Amino acid sequence: MSEKDKEKKQGKNISRRSFIKGVGTGTVAATVAPAILVGDDQAAEAQTDEAVASARIQLNINEETTEIEVEARTTLLSVLRDGIDTTGNNVDLTGAKLICDKGECGGCTVLVDGKPVYACMLLAMDAQGKQITTVEGIANGDDLHPVQEAFIQHDALMCGFCTPGFVVSSVALLNENNKPTIAEIKEGLSGNTCRCGTYPFIFDAVETASQKM
Amino acid sequence: MASWGEASQSRLIGKRITRLSGKDKVTGKAKYTYDINRPGMLYARILRSDVAHANVIDIDLSRAEELPGVSAVLPIIEVGKKLRYQGQEIAAVAAETDEIAKDALRLIFVDLEELPYVVTEEDALAEGAPEIRDDWKGNKSNPGKNEEGDVDAAFNEAAVTVEATYHTPVQTHVCLETHGHVVEWTDDQNLTVWASTQAVFGVRNDFARRFELPANQVRVITEHMGGGFGSKFGPGVEGHTAAQLSKITGKPVKLMLTRRAEHLVAGNRPSMTQQVKAGASSDGRLIAYDMRGYGTGGISSGAGFTGPYVYHVENQRTERFNVVTNAGNQRAMRAPGHPQGAFAMDSLMDELAEKLGMNPLEFRRINDSSEVRQAQYTLGAQEIGWHKRNTIPGSGTGVKKRGIGVGSGQWGGGGGRGTQARVTINADGTVEAVTGTQDLGTGIRTAIAIIVAEEFGLQPTDISVKIGDSAPGLPSGGSGGSQTTASVAPVIKTAAETAKQKLFAHVAPLLQAPVDDLRVGNGTIYVASDRTKTVTWHQATGLLGMESISEGGSWDQELSQHGVAGTQFAEVEVDTETGNVQVIKIVAVQDCGLAINRLTTESQINGGVIMGLGQTLLEERIMDPLTGRMLNANLEDYKVPGTYEIPEIKSIVFDTHRKVSGVGEPPCIPTLGAIANAVYNAIGVRIRELPITPDKVLNALAEKKA
Amino acid sequence: MDKFSYVNATSLKQVTSLLSDSGWGEVMLIAGGTDLLSELKEYIETPKTLINLKTLPDMDGISADANGLTIGALTTVADIAMHPTIQHHYTVLAQAAASVATPQIRNVGTIGGNLCQRPRCWYYRDETVNCIKKGGDLCYAVDGLSKYHAILGGDPVYIVHPSDIAPALIALNASMKITGPEGEKTMKVEEFFTLPSDNPFRENVLQPNEIVVEIQIPNPKPNTKSFYLKAREKGAPDFALASVAGVFEMAGRTCQSANIVLGGVAPKPWRSTEAETALTGKMVNNAVSMKAGEEAVQKARPLNDNEYKVTLTQNLISRAAMMAVS
Repeated sequence: MSEKDKEKKQGKNISRRSFIKGVGTGTVAATVAPAILVGDDQAAEAQTDEAVASARIQLNINEETTEIEVEARTTLLSVLRDGIDTTGNNVDLTGAKLICDKGECGGCTVLVDGKPVYACMLLAMDAQGKQITTVEGIANGDDLHPVQEAFIQHDALMCGFCTPGFVVSSVALLNENNKPTIAEIKEGLSGNTCRCGTYPFIFDAVETASQKM
Repeated sequence: MASWGEASQSRLIGKRITRLSGKDKVTGKAKYTYDINRPGMLYARILRSDVAHANVIDIDLSRAEELPGVSAVLPIIEVGKKLRYQGQEIAAVAAETDEIAKDALRLIFVDLEELPYVVTEEDALAEGAPEIRDDWKGNKSNPGKNEEGDVDAAFNEAAVTVEATYHTPVQTHVCLETHGHVVEWTDDQNLTVWASTQAVFGVRNDFARRFELPANQVRVITEHMGGGFGSKFGPGVEGHTAAQLSKITGKPVKLMLTRRAEHLVAGNRPSMTQQVKAGASSDGRLIAYDMRGYGTGGISSGAGFTGPYVYHVENQRTERFNVVTNAGNQRAMRAPGHPQGAFAMDSLMDELAEKLGMNPLEFRRINDSSEVRQAQYTLGAQEIGWHKRNTIPGSGTGVKKRGIGVGSGQWGGGGGRGTQARVTINADGTVEAVTGTQDLGTGIRTAIAIIVAEEFGLQPTDISVKIGDSAPGLPSGGSGGSQTTASVAPVIKTAAETAKQKLFAHVAPLLQAPVDDLRVGNGTIYVASDRTKTVTWHQATGLLGMESISEGGSWDQELSQHGVAGTQFAEVEVDTETGNVQVIKIVAVQDCGLAINRLTTESQINGGVIMGLGQTLLEERIMDPLTGRMLNANLEDYKVPGTYEIPEIKSIVFDTHRKVSGVGEPPCIPTLGAIANAVYNAIGVRIRELPITPDKVLNALAEKKA
Repeated sequence: MDKFSYVNATSLKQVTSLLSDSGWGEVMLIAGGTDLLSELKEYIETPKTLINLKTLPDMDGISADANGLTIGALTTVADIAMHPTIQHHYTVLAQAAASVATPQIRNVGTIGGNLCQRPRCWYYRDETVNCIKKGGDLCYAVDGLSKYHAILGGDPVYIVHPSDIAPALIALNASMKITGPEGEKTMKVEEFFTLPSDNPFRENVLQPNEIVVEIQIPNPKPNTKSFYLKAREKGAPDFALASVAGVFEMAGRTCQSANIVLGGVAPKPWRSTEAETALTGKMVNNAVSMKAGEEAVQKARPLNDNEYKVTLTQNLISRAAMMAVS
């Protein structure tokens, strides 16, 4: 350890104030352009080169349009789980979970234009104009998707907290490759994490589902 | 005498039954605490210590309070007190959105005077180390000592001895749903709490004490919860803080830990370091054992571990102590003390066997008094192909070398008193089973339905199971010690039996038969001596008119049994150029008494094996002496098993009797020794420190070469 | 994440003009965002404005012509990994792309972002640690914990460059097009990356007002074999403990030329001319391939916890060389 760092470690009155960086939060919003309707194509086009701190946007989630006011920093996951739309209703799609908050565990996996992505790592504004499918949109009404049926049949879930993410990733995998080998299943689901240890039965479930697709 | 009956007579019990919560979980409809959204709900967050050890000089909340959207800011630690580990709570904020709460935390200004710290056992035990607990002298607890037999004489007699040091690092629980609560005061005397807990009633009683309320004015709800593994028995600081913030603001408050906080403060499995010397006689008896060991449970004690383990040794001397470090507290974690003890013991057994020139399985057979495990050794050895192992460790050719190893475990898992339940049969034929237990993902909800359905001749889906709620006032214990099913099942069974007898009493006159001649069929009730006399379930319950049958159950020792044995065999492949260890196959032979649901029992065995695999190959809390911080408090550098790590797992439900025991914890125990011994068998170098990562494998191979 | 404002890019000109007045950190670019957002979430960066590059036209796509391959900077890692031409003729690139993180990240992350991503060092990624890269005086890996740190080219900052794609591109002699206020320039990908001794704060020569536009890869010579080998602790989403991008021009068992670029072991993708020399013109066999590995790590200076990387790197190089003749 360098002398300097020793000093730092043993120093008196170390103020943690220094860890608050720059100006306080909350000041940025006041200095930027007012919210605009970016979801509207025309408006978006007119305004694209203007910086916005927040905006009223439209998202296509599970084939329905949701209009919502978001900050630039709002993630898609935050909209799905905690968002309140412009009519005052909770979006309340809580199937996708925030688990690692870092784009590693797959708990928040949703389909964007059919491809699995981490909703915790996607800004809501970037999800405009795309088809978003959450776990709530996988079944056809009361008819479960073959992946969902197979997950139940094989007990491919325990606590179930990671299950929505695994279901969405499995559906995406089978949409791309409807007869995956075990290696391809592992690869396709490698962006999802389970702590209860349901993996072996998840692999079985995906194999079973693949036979029905 | 109460009994679960013969296997051949069971229609449902012991079969593979899909779980009742399956549909809700695969569709995203299952609501966890984290998913609860109450009208007007606030989001709360906690500001935590960045440093391992410091005096709190000043806390300035004013700027946070002024931030628009902030509803309340609450100091947690007092100025003048000490922060003793990274992550310790300083203050909390409740705000209209989660983002505002996060912003507000950054507007809380804290002046800290940093103090010298120790975050590793090595630093804590070093001469002149700063003493970090005011109530301890030094950083070491008084050792617990034990001596049996004549150890020194036994060593003199021993044909071979082994001396070795084994180490396992701190492992964290990594519950995917972090600890947290949604708290709502319905008025100033009534509190409703959605809690991610494995002890609904424990949490209820804790909140009641804390806020001086009658227990029945606190309602705790845990419909679904995302993993506990021993860490979720109480509300913790975060639960109390949420309740205080809710009280101050008059609004519902959600407070879930961040992933980082989950690693730092929500519990962990303590480390273990043991220096052991053991001796065996030339005929393969383990006769002498001398061990000195310690572990750290962070700032608290509780770093116990088993040793000697499983195998009988007559002459033994042990000494173990706790080491305190500036790190978050340990909590119970899946078979506390056992996996780490088993890793050391199973490694030691193999080392002794090798010195004796004996097959390690033979050596175990000689020293293992469990008849169950003796049978498991035979079965497991066949399944893994024990004969394929390298007679000379490391003798395989090629870059990728395979090896086979074995490990053992023992657990309690019996049930106990403390559960109340009610089984209700309604006139419309519906059936309800209610108790205050909680489903951690183990499948207890489904097990309850199976038991009731078996008793009534119905299907599990016919039973409405209401658990995870304290409101009905039917307590059950916390889910720990693998005791849930063994504790709950007998009460449910006796309640259902009693209710069934009551229903029979209504049916007997109609069928003109005595009650004890009635039986349930498949959705029917019939007369045993004249099977032409039968009524459907609905005809029978229709006789109840305006009434329901509602019966409580009672604990019955005869329906449960304590003590389960397990054995696992592992086959691994070690890439000697990259140091990568790939587990190819695990055979887990797990005794669990009567498996109510074979499907979910297999799930639990798989899960235990995978958690054990993680502990063996990947997981480690990395504490940095330079900064006093945990460097991997995330899911990037704290690595839990993912799809690529999963081997073929053959889970064998080894049901030895018709009494219920638990299986949640035991299957994570033998995995460590089995894999570690398989790695040794593959490469011929022993790695005595977990996790067995590529750096350790490459370093060990380099040492062997040199 | 602190608040920021968001601008959709309409043209490169607009982007460079928005960037031109700011230094690092005030105005930042976002494409896939998979690295940037994790930095913002940890407050490692706290920009006032983000410019969304995804709205730029014509920057996403892979095209092949007689000269080789052109890949737009906004092309996703998944599209590169799954592109048939890349899989067949630029195998090392397809393999490197396929080894990145997880499917969900690959579907969003772009090749431009992959090249410009910041280090994963656990000190750098910890907001409270003021290391050299953030203006402090110390590389904490030197006296701290250094299992994942550099063995080559470290002084004074021992981060490793996390990209898998960069070593592959360098091994393929790729170039990149960069746009700035003064117009466009093209440089070798190899020259893009810098060592901490030149600039401890950044990992490449990109200026705050410049933007990576596209990648150009020349056609590999006939008889070329290429591989990307990546060692990690966990199958996914781990970054490399060490990786080797190897491009070998073979005549039978004789190696006519070799490009060997290492990942995960140095602050930049590390071209091992030593290994290349040891292989060039040789009949590749066990002894030659091992020699190449040994030569590559001659100058390695491991820290306290990463000596294993020396062996690992050596082994990966010789494995890659042997794959060229198998």
